[in-house]
Amino acid sequence: MYGRRASQLLKENSCNETGQFTAFNADMFGEVLKECNTHHLELQSLMRKIQEEGLDMQTTRNPDHFGAVIHHLSLMRNKRCLMAYVYNRAEVIQSLRWKVGPVLPQEIQGKLNQSEKEYFKNHSSALEAYMSELDLDLTVDMVPPKDPYIRIRVLDDIGDEVVLDDQSHNFVRHSIHLLKRTDAEQYISQGLMEELSG
Amino acid sequence: MAHGSEEGLGFSSEDYDSLIATTDVELLKRTWRNEKASPEILQFQASLVQRSREQIQLMEDTMEEFAKNGTDPLTVSLYQMDLDRALFLLRSYLRTRLQKIEKYFIHISKSELWNRLSEQEQKFAKKCTDYMEKHLQKSVLSHLPYGYQSILRQSISSEEDDMVPEPQLDTFVFCKSKGSVGAFQLDDSGDEIVDLVADDLYVLRYKSIKALIESEQIDLV
Repeated sequence: MYGRRASQLLKENSCNETGQFTAFNADMFGEVLKECNTHHLELQSLMRKIQEEGLDMQTTRNPDHFGAVIHHLSLMRNKRCLMAYVYNRAEVIQSLRWKVGPVLPQEIQGKLNQSEKEYFKNHSSALEAYMSELDLDLTVDMVPPKDPYIRIRVLDDIGDEVVLDDQSHNFVRHSIHLLKRTDAEQYISQGLMEELSG
Repeated sequence: MAHGSEEGLGFSSEDYDSLIATTDVELLKRTWRNEKASPEILQFQASLVQRSREQIQLMEDTMEEFAKNGTDPLTVSLYQMDLDRALFLLRSYLRTRLQKIEKYFIHISKSELWNRLSEQEQKFAKKCTDYMEKHLQKSVLSHLPYGYQSILRQSISSEEDDMVPEPQLDTFVFCKSKGSVGAFQLDDSGDEIVDLVADDLYVLRYKSIKALIESEQIDLV
């Protein structure tokens, strides 16, 4: 009560490193919501009591008023904690879209709740609409380029006969290729290739 | 776009510097640096972006011709490098702006910063706001009791919109002034006066030099 459980929820969030998160804690979330409703009921009953005693709502300063203020403040604090929890997770989701791309791997998808999955899809489509209006892919070139071509090693079987830039490549596992930076970046971000330095 | 064309013409180094300073790549680099270092979103340079895209397109066409002619591969890869770097600048500039919009869309929609966005960015910001509102409504706000369901206010008894994340304008930034600005008052109380000489590096609060950046007398580093 009084914001304690909500701060536990937030502590979970802050224990993670930036850019990572745990599964959506639906149980604790639901409990905090129940607390909010309890606070609200108490608040309403106290306000009704003040009115029944015939005192003016704005200026009375008796214990009921202060009790009502405490319930009101705890409710606001719970609301802020809940919104911060959801908002921070949403920010991590946004950064994932930039890092990983339009499709999330299975492990991450399992940690999101239904509304977050929808939010990711919507946000991703808003980004794609912007990029297609400009005709520029903004998710490549995250690091300043040192070389137009980079040497990569294929980590997973991508497939034979992948056509990039009018040249077909045979991407067998553990094979080494020299590719154009922008073409290789999409595979690197999905973890299917790695860059060979040196 | 390539810098090599100026070198063979026998310019003195001062002329060369001033000529270089006005090429589009330099302008783009400057705008990119300012945007990266500033905590709030700056004015969108529509004409610069348009010109850069046209030049990039020209370069790409030139590259295709080179590939057909079988020109010396070293020249080709040098031009390719130049093209890649210009593309990176453009992409990074647009990306930084988008990420700032993603963070502060509510604040931007409500203040005069809205006018600093390009048309496509405004559409993107509007969509961001809608989706985030929908998401928050669905997860949190619809379950809360009446009177506490607003996104912008803590409750209906709050006097103003107190739940809007705003960019921190007090952060310190490194800056260099291009020409001598002379004595400059740092804050309203007139306590601190800083003499801004050309090409000297300063560390100041962003808020105090906001106006100078907008009038392009100072660059962020």
